[in-house]
Amino acid sequence: MATVTLNNVVKRFGAFEVVHGANIDVKDGEFVVFVGPSGCGKSTLLRMIAGLEDISGGEIAIGGKVVNDVEPADRGIAMVFQSYALYPHMTVEQNLSFGLRMTGNPKADTERRVKRAAGILRISELMDRRPRKLSGGQRQRVAIGRAIVREPQVFLFDEPLSNLDAELRVQMRIEIARLHKELGVTMIYVTHDQTEAMTLADRIVVLNAGNIEQIGAPLDLYDDPANRFVAGFVGSPKMNFMAAKVVATEKDVAVVELLNHSGARLRKSLSGAPPAVGADVVLGVRPEHFGEAGEGDCDIPVRADVAEHLGSVSYVYANAGPEELIIEREASRQRASGDHLVVSIKAGRSLLFDTSGARIR
Amino acid sequence: MRNRNATAYRFLTPYLLIFAVFWVWPIISSFLISFQATRTVPWRFAPAFNWGRLIGDPAFFNALKNTLLILVIQVPVMITLAMVMAVLLNSPLLKARGLFRFAFFAPVVVGEVAYSAVFRLMFNLNFGIINKLLNSVGLPSVDWFSNVTPAMALIMIAVTWRWAGYNAIILLAGMQSIPEDVYEAATLDRVSKLKQFFFITLPLLKPVVVFCLVLSIIGTMQLFTEPFLITERGGPGGGTETLGLLLYRQGFRSLNFGYASAVAYTMAGLAIAITLVQLWLTREKQ
Repeated sequence: MATVTLNNVVKRFGAFEVVHGANIDVKDGEFVVFVGPSGCGKSTLLRMIAGLEDISGGEIAIGGKVVNDVEPADRGIAMVFQSYALYPHMTVEQNLSFGLRMTGNPKADTERRVKRAAGILRISELMDRRPRKLSGGQRQRVAIGRAIVREPQVFLFDEPLSNLDAELRVQMRIEIARLHKELGVTMIYVTHDQTEAMTLADRIVVLNAGNIEQIGAPLDLYDDPANRFVAGFVGSPKMNFMAAKVVATEKDVAVVELLNHSGARLRKSLSGAPPAVGADVVLGVRPEHFGEAGEGDCDIPVRADVAEHLGSVSYVYANAGPEELIIEREASRQRASGDHLVVSIKAGRSLLFDTSGARIR
Repeated sequence: MRNRNATAYRFLTPYLLIFAVFWVWPIISSFLISFQATRTVPWRFAPAFNWGRLIGDPAFFNALKNTLLILVIQVPVMITLAMVMAVLLNSPLLKARGLFRFAFFAPVVVGEVAYSAVFRLMFNLNFGIINKLLNSVGLPSVDWFSNVTPAMALIMIAVTWRWAGYNAIILLAGMQSIPEDVYEAATLDRVSKLKQFFFITLPLLKPVVVFCLVLSIIGTMQLFTEPFLITERGGPGGGTETLGLLLYRQGFRSLNFGYASAVAYTMAGLAIAITLVQLWLTREKQ
């Protein structure tokens, strides 16, 4: 087990900088998820920790020891690849034991480790099969097993579930969570799927275009995002953003008018100084935080465009001027498309952002 | 559906006709000719005439021995060399990779006569650069064209020069189809580059290696250009005569088409047999 510390880590490909000074402290035994859209640098960051990519600037330390110039095999890490990266010509047993056999590990110890990994992952009955005879989920288990036999200090997962179907993904997600609990080792996990991040992580690192937008516990990011990007990325369906203007201010209060919703106004309490009157702002409301008419602090009329009924809840995709809003409703209050409805916004469950995306608290 | 098939076949008919007349018929015809005595007028059906001669013909066995000798020595050397070239071409450290790829592939596109002429000059006893190089390191000149062993070596060197790069490009394509993350996983598993080559690259490349071997075996069984042009029609004294050359000599010098056809079918049969044995030996064991 070990801590992982990234200190101002930079990655450049030629003149192009893809990671701009990342600072992350992963605690011993912690499950940290790097999440962000494609191309945000999360996999590059993980590969730098693994030693598969050179570090252009800054320092990476594992277990307190700077590993910038340490060979990947000597970093005490094991990695599970998105494509599984199994050796196609070897059986499951050979896949698990290959690294140990090649490095002259004692046979008895190799057998013990392979048996243990197979037991943990329930793949003992697959040991004589080749990867192409395995299902996606089984291959993923073997890939994880190959990491386990190395008995690493840190596990690195690079989008390990993205090649699996939805049902299997949920199942493997639970398995990985169980594995973390069982092994208690530090795990760093990369995904673009915020649901995986929310369900697995002790802490989430949200990345965007090579920058760390926010680091925090899943619910902290959900409840208290630092900016519009995090607010929009965390939570499913994503947060609604409505164009607004500050029309009046008092001490710690901004009165905003929603520009596309018949001039509806909302008094929003703030902990800091409010923006200037006339400033353009954006009001963020999560789909689940819309109330029935009259329940909140301001009502807005919308026209339901499409309704998705999921059983326990329904999502109404509503149009209000140029903005499309997603509104969560209990299933008993299903709406048909074309319906007009009025929903309310609670000031306390809404977030305010300036036009640059920074949060106005 | 039947209608659509009929239309498709109508479009295919011109090609199928040409294919039947110029490809299928010659194959059948030459097989039939191999059972005929073709040095009498008119040709007469005599099944044992050519095939019987084949079994007792020292020239055939000489050509067969030479061909198999080239096959056994040259093909493994060439494939090994091609593998080394492919590994070097695949190295991320290599600069100007495109240039090297072209250079290695270039011998295939050079005209056979031109390359044979250059080889004859290079290996000339009196002024060839190869003998000059040998002399410069204190070795005596070799008469590459008058003695059987050097002449065979020359044929093997020439064929290797011509086809190693071609096979290297095929092997390189195979190597590049192996996913990079398999090697990354092995690197994390502390497996050295050399072991990665022997335990990952080579096993995964096996189908491609087998393909190159099959192509090379078929090519060597038909070997003609080099012994014809470089060592002057299989010289010295038939020392480099191959089955291809024997076929040519019988068919187009002696106009003995029946015997030439029997030789041709023997060559094809041997190529198929050797290839099948090799495919069986390298088959996937599950």
